[in-house]
Amino acid sequence: MLQSQTHQGQIVQAEPLLIARGVSKSFGKTQALRDAALTMRPGEVTGLLGANGAGKSTLSRIVSGHIQRSGGDISFDGAPLMLSSTRDALRQGIALVAQETSLAPDLSVLENIFLPDLATPGRLSFRSMRQKANALLSGLGHEHVLPLDAEVRTLSAAQRQLVEIAKALALDARLVIFDEPTASLSATEVDRLFDIMARLREGGRALGFVSHRLEEVFAITDRVTILREGQVVAEDVATGTLTQNDIIQHMVGRDIGTIYAARHMAPEAVGEIVFEVRGLSAMPWVRDMSFSVKAGEILGLGGLVGAGRSEAMEAIWGLRARQSGEILVRGSSVRLKKPADAVRAGLGFVAEDRRAQNIIPDLSVRENLMIAQMGQHRGFGRGYRKRAEKVASLIADLGLPADRLDQSLLNYSGGMQQKIIIARWLLTEPDILILDEPTKGVDIGTRASIYRLLQKAADSGLAVIVISSDFEELLGIAERVVVVSDGLTIADLPTARLSEEKLTLLAAPRTSTARNQALLTALTEDHGGDAFWVLLDGEDTICLAQAGAQLAGMIPGEAAMMSETSIPKAIQKRADVFIPDRAGQTLLTQMTDKRGHDLGWIGLTLPDGATLPDPETIRARVARLIQSDEETRP
Amino acid sequence: MSDTSPPADTPYRATPWASILRSLEFRMLGLALLLAVILSFSSEHFLTERNIFNILDQSVVIGIVAVGMTFVILTGGIDLSVGAVFGLTGIILAQALQIMPIPLAIPLGIAAGAGIGLFSGVLIAVFGLAPFVVTLGVMAIGRSLSFIFSGQRSISGLPPDLDAIVYSSFLGIPANVLFLIGLYLVAWGYLTYTKGGRTIYAIGSNHEAAKAAGLSVMFYSILPYVISGALAAVAVTFSLAQVMSADPLAGNGLELDAIAAVVIGGASLYGGRGSIIGTLLGVLIMVMIRNGLNLMGVSPFWQGTAIGSIIIIALLAERLINWRSART
Repeated sequence: MLQSQTHQGQIVQAEPLLIARGVSKSFGKTQALRDAALTMRPGEVTGLLGANGAGKSTLSRIVSGHIQRSGGDISFDGAPLMLSSTRDALRQGIALVAQETSLAPDLSVLENIFLPDLATPGRLSFRSMRQKANALLSGLGHEHVLPLDAEVRTLSAAQRQLVEIAKALALDARLVIFDEPTASLSATEVDRLFDIMARLREGGRALGFVSHRLEEVFAITDRVTILREGQVVAEDVATGTLTQNDIIQHMVGRDIGTIYAARHMAPEAVGEIVFEVRGLSAMPWVRDMSFSVKAGEILGLGGLVGAGRSEAMEAIWGLRARQSGEILVRGSSVRLKKPADAVRAGLGFVAEDRRAQNIIPDLSVRENLMIAQMGQHRGFGRGYRKRAEKVASLIADLGLPADRLDQSLLNYSGGMQQKIIIARWLLTEPDILILDEPTKGVDIGTRASIYRLLQKAADSGLAVIVISSDFEELLGIAERVVVVSDGLTIADLPTARLSEEKLTLLAAPRTSTARNQALLTALTEDHGGDAFWVLLDGEDTICLAQAGAQLAGMIPGEAAMMSETSIPKAIQKRADVFIPDRAGQTLLTQMTDKRGHDLGWIGLTLPDGATLPDPETIRARVARLIQSDEETRP
Repeated sequence: MSDTSPPADTPYRATPWASILRSLEFRMLGLALLLAVILSFSSEHFLTERNIFNILDQSVVIGIVAVGMTFVILTGGIDLSVGAVFGLTGIILAQALQIMPIPLAIPLGIAAGAGIGLFSGVLIAVFGLAPFVVTLGVMAIGRSLSFIFSGQRSISGLPPDLDAIVYSSFLGIPANVLFLIGLYLVAWGYLTYTKGGRTIYAIGSNHEAAKAAGLSVMFYSILPYVISGALAAVAVTFSLAQVMSADPLAGNGLELDAIAAVVIGGASLYGGRGSIIGTLLGVLIMVMIRNGLNLMGVSPFWQGTAIGSIIIIALLAERLINWRSART
């Protein structure tokens, strides 16, 4: 059936499997697609890009039979494609791996993979299903990360996605579209997903990749199609011929410049600590978290999805039980038992899930805007008049037409909805504003205006806490980043000292760093002295872990300039030999993974007069560690 | 995000007049008027002053109970116990009237209704039990207790002064109809213009978001059940004053009438959507059908078929209209 495929090392431009031309779609009075086009070839990943509301998801849903097009031509495998349902599409071999998964949470992984089979008459053979599922998953190289008998509700976002992929493959789908698959994945999980997508591409399938994240587009796609306001603006262009800026320009139709407006503020402009959390725990997610934020400061809470950041905020907000921990607002301890307490203590909280936790769909824009203010208000009435002026100025800031305040919030795009939710909290004039993934699912143009909104708020003396898994965003917007991993706050560093690579290493799950910690302990047991794991960048050092006596001046989770440590010479030379400093003799050995990424340095400082081991044995131990780490990595 | 929402930040402009025309309440008003026209052609007695007051009088009991039901349904709950509470508080009131003066007995009956509502509300909001199940249980208990407290027979011999709350009038309008009008005005004002009212809508629309926004979700989840119980007791007070006896079976099926009125009035059983005006129209539509069929001499056994059909046709028409506006 396939005319040609990508063979080893040799790229053959295959005949397109899917060609869509002039596709249009309207919902009610809104035209979601005007003139969309898409070409997908076997053995290729096609990126489908566009700002929010550009129609990417609509087009994917048309191709996969979720909705019907209003006009246009689509041909699949040389024949015109007419779909009346998703079942039709699946029968033809077209599958969509959706953002919000279409799995049945109460059924097992196995049943979900073969969910379409449940619709066919006759008896099901669980044994052959199990065999087939195992074959599928091992084909993806992931048979051990997915327990077939587990209920889907117990799985992580990444595992659910894997079930979706397996479900598509069980039907032998030839064309699979991934709709924002990386939205809720951590960096490692994204790597794994790309690995799977690469395998599927090699298997000759046509893949679609819908995303906002440009780095990922460059990492995985072969060609891209860009939509803007329902129209195709760049069709079937080789990714390699584009720059990031080209794509942004196509997406937004103009050069938006830098999204992160640099915020130049003198350190003295930052005020006193207004909010502090000490020893917070909310098991099993939050084990021991402490951090503080000053007035006028934007603090980033970085970490991977599942590190416990959102759960910590929900615990602070009274939505989740706390086992221990003290919360201080302006220096005095407060008891926050329910959200209303937090609102009245001067906190604001934009929760992560816009639909589930923030939007009240049956209330108008105005009421959604005023709702937190109403919660704070202590009267019988709604208390709307109290903030009339503030409402007017905020509406102007947001670019919301004042005469459309009485419409449904659902009529607005995700980005505008998010701005309205943020404004909801600014209206309560809080001292502290917490935002959990404030730009999730928001297009680049709106992101920039959200950042400006937050910076303006901070400039007026608000303490802002931003949770984000997007490290680029954290570094762009925050002055200081507290890194969270496995429910622990493990580092508190000024952004100037950080980079995305360093954040990635700091945020790595502690389970994977346990091995390194074990090595450090073993080194000090065998040789004595001080062993540490440190990131080195020019004269900057960030210590990740440490064991043994404190000789080198490395404190886990803290950054220091080379000269502030006790081993400046060793850091300067970075030779694989022991170098004397005033603290003693220090050996530094670099760790790199198989792709050559810097994983930091392992250091061993021994006091003067100690017997120095052969540097080669230390190097070998470090190398062995990395090797074993990669073998066991799923 | 899914792109099924419109792309631009520019929902089309709607004038206030257009949005009234598009509202469900407006269509229900149309239905009510249409019914009135049909019935006035079918029976010469329908459009007489006497019959109009008759309709209003018949609307009092179900109208009062439907207000409480609207509050409950707006939070996404349901109160199946109103009929049983109506019966039980009727018995309590009748027994109390034997031993205490009217001004003491009536508040006692209302307090009993509110207390039963509080019991249901706490089980639902604090312990997280399903409203359907809790109020089903309370319904069974309430009906059973009303038989026990009454000795399985109706209680008569109520003080004759009691009928003053129905038969006194102001500007020619009977007291019970005045009360109904006043109640709807207060309920409408409360639901539209107060923190509590808007919180009730917010809870029904998105409980989690209402909580996260710092609203008193617990209090306002319980309150509707208290109001519903209390209003069932208020309704039975008017009923008692009219028939001058308390029957342990009184209010049987009343919960279904109340729910039907609220649903015809456009409320969503999932909560967050509905209005007091809609409920009033729903009540009037139901009462008009009953009244009209009576006037035409149709067997009362047909009433259920007529009302059931109206509910289904109204909802179906609503759904078709929504589908069409979603497609074009």
